[in-house]
Amino acid sequence: MASNFANILLFIAIISSFVSNFFFFNKKTEASIRSFRISGLFVILSFFLLIYFFYTSNFSIAAVYENSHSLKPTMYKVAGAWGNHEGSLLLFVMIVSLYGIAFSFLNKKNNFNLTKWTIFFQNNIVLIFLIYLVTTSNPFDMIVPHPREGLGLNPILQDPLLVIHPPFLYLGYVGFSLTLSLVLASLIIKSLNSEWAQLTWPWVLSSWVFLTIGIGLGSIWAYYELGWGGYWFWDPVENSSLMPWLASTALLHTMLSLKVKNLMKSWTALLAILTFSFSLLGTFLVRSGVLNSVHAFANDPERGIFILTIIFIITFVSFVIFVFYKPNDISNNQIALFSKESFLLFNNYFLLFFLTVIVIGTIYPIILSIFNETISVGPSFYNTILAPFIFIFLILMGIGPMMKWSKNILLSQKKIIFYTIAGSLILSAAIIFLANKKNLILFLGLLSSIYLMISILIENIKNREFFKLYYLPKNLAHFGFALLIFSIFLNSHFSLSKNFEIKDKETIKFNDISIKLNNRQLKQESNFYEMIANFEVKKSNFIFNLNPSVRKFFQPNQITSETSIVSRMFSDHYIVVNFQDRKSDVLGVRYYFNYFIYGIWLGLLLIILGGLFSAIKKRA
Amino acid sequence: MNKNVKKRIIFFLISVITFLIIGQYIFKSLRKNTVYFFTPSELFILSEIPRGTIRIGGMVKKNSLNKKNNTYQFIITDFKQEVKVEYVGVLPNLFVEGQGAVIEGKLIDRLSLKAENILAKHDEKYMPKEVADALKNKGSWQKKYGK
Repeated sequence: MASNFANILLFIAIISSFVSNFFFFNKKTEASIRSFRISGLFVILSFFLLIYFFYTSNFSIAAVYENSHSLKPTMYKVAGAWGNHEGSLLLFVMIVSLYGIAFSFLNKKNNFNLTKWTIFFQNNIVLIFLIYLVTTSNPFDMIVPHPREGLGLNPILQDPLLVIHPPFLYLGYVGFSLTLSLVLASLIIKSLNSEWAQLTWPWVLSSWVFLTIGIGLGSIWAYYELGWGGYWFWDPVENSSLMPWLASTALLHTMLSLKVKNLMKSWTALLAILTFSFSLLGTFLVRSGVLNSVHAFANDPERGIFILTIIFIITFVSFVIFVFYKPNDISNNQIALFSKESFLLFNNYFLLFFLTVIVIGTIYPIILSIFNETISVGPSFYNTILAPFIFIFLILMGIGPMMKWSKNILLSQKKIIFYTIAGSLILSAAIIFLANKKNLILFLGLLSSIYLMISILIENIKNREFFKLYYLPKNLAHFGFALLIFSIFLNSHFSLSKNFEIKDKETIKFNDISIKLNNRQLKQESNFYEMIANFEVKKSNFIFNLNPSVRKFFQPNQITSETSIVSRMFSDHYIVVNFQDRKSDVLGVRYYFNYFIYGIWLGLLLIILGGLFSAIKKRA
Repeated sequence: MNKNVKKRIIFFLISVITFLIIGQYIFKSLRKNTVYFFTPSELFILSEIPRGTIRIGGMVKKNSLNKKNNTYQFIITDFKQEVKVEYVGVLPNLFVEGQGAVIEGKLIDRLSLKAENILAKHDEKYMPKEVADALKNKGSWQKKYGK
């Protein structure tokens, strides 16, 4: 019953989508847009119906049975709706529709021709994914006879951050579908120009902000929940969210040139295609089961091949449209070398280089696995390759924004650059000597990030423009990025970790830290038993308690460790415990002293704020 | 015209050289940072023992886990060959005798490994993908391990 009703909703959505295409080809534009909205409405309805099924634990639906349990807290029942392959795909389609609908309402007045074509492309993306949904991964498949109880959701995923992490990530990934549609539409009606860039800016930027938030939330979750003491592991799943982020960051900077100088049209179009292709590739890598991770839901090769086909079709069609309707560009040879345009181009080269490195590191093991060779690429691959280029990138980020459009003006800025370099040399050398860490990589990392921070401050104090709305987004985002890199270098060179075993009342000492296990308590919650350990940690004169725990879930039967973290001004004390071996009373302890983690979160926050301000500020 | 062509050729040459240098750089460090995965049987038939860090995977043999001083010792098996593992550190929650595990470390000799890291990112429903694939290839797969 429930399943049939939901399937009818999906069916109406598909039909409306077809009807929208039909009207479009018969030049009935208004009707075509209206059908698109109707299709979207039914997708939204079916998504809320799925949430309702999860909320009421309707185990006659296969997706609910496989991913939920009646004892689970309500919040996680609801989140279970997108915590599985089928549901997350429905969320995906719904967001494509939502972006299209929002655009069709908000962009009524200007450029109707553009709206018409944009909605046409958006509609076909919806259609492709709806067909994929109902043929290979229908979230409303039935189970007969009805099971009485569900299998439960992986406890690692039962975390408040993970309730909101996937929707944000998807709002980002999927938002780039609208960017692609807008680019394809403007190619066809030959309106890829600065006016288009003005109009598109808030849409591209809002997707970018959502994606940044999504990546940030995932990183925070990994830090608190996974219990490995870190915030980024160069895991293929993390990398696949970074790929569209890098491509879209390049796109945003190119769009600046398009917006102001009507330059780099082809480049903008290519980056938009690239961005959405990488969003899809990310979805494929994460969902198809080619990677081994908590995100991999579908282990069905048929689905993987289907997604690959979709990626191929969308990318191929986009390229064909690009080749046939190639915009006319002014040749790059005419751009002055020390002008703003050319620095934006350098920015693109660097971002695309970072992207290439990450793509190679992520894809190479997958390609080898086809030939039955299993390898993995360690974090040092990324760290060693990216670090030297990050240094140069940061320095250029300090210089680029000082440049003027279309003019060589390096000479007049020489003095400021010299003072900034001198200032940052002194500061970073001071940090190196005070901390007694003579490490070249650390020095260069600090030097380049401090350089960028100082140069943003000096530049703005000199021109009294830091809080002028026009410069605020760039200042916030660039300063945030510098702070992020600064904190990452401090964190990786000043953090400590120690693994040891401990018994009740025992004390472990190392460096200036001593850790004592006071006692352990047992507790029962609605869906797990919990053993909470009480540690007393002493560092210099500072004493505090940490209470990490081990949880044993009933359904699914699984053990997880909960971290306990105490933050001081510049550092975190972080403890995770394990049942060392089940025969003895020894606890296994991993202790991390994490330096400057807050700088990383603050840097991310500034980047996000910068994006937000730019998306909402009144366009000049 | 002539000047423009010249400019283009120079630009093209510079791009090609940059690409080659950067490509070389990427693949060199890719090769340096690649960690290979072996099953015990594969280790047994290798002509040369790998020196660097490797990963091995298989099942933790039942009743093989014991502790001497601070060192854990256990056996990883693919039901054809066995590798002895030594490990100093904290065993993860999901490390259980009779279940799958992936161990990262350096070989002491052909069939014994000094572990640096035990990877247990998987849940109890399934075993590490590398292990499952390897067991399937070796024909040691049993229904009870899952799909």
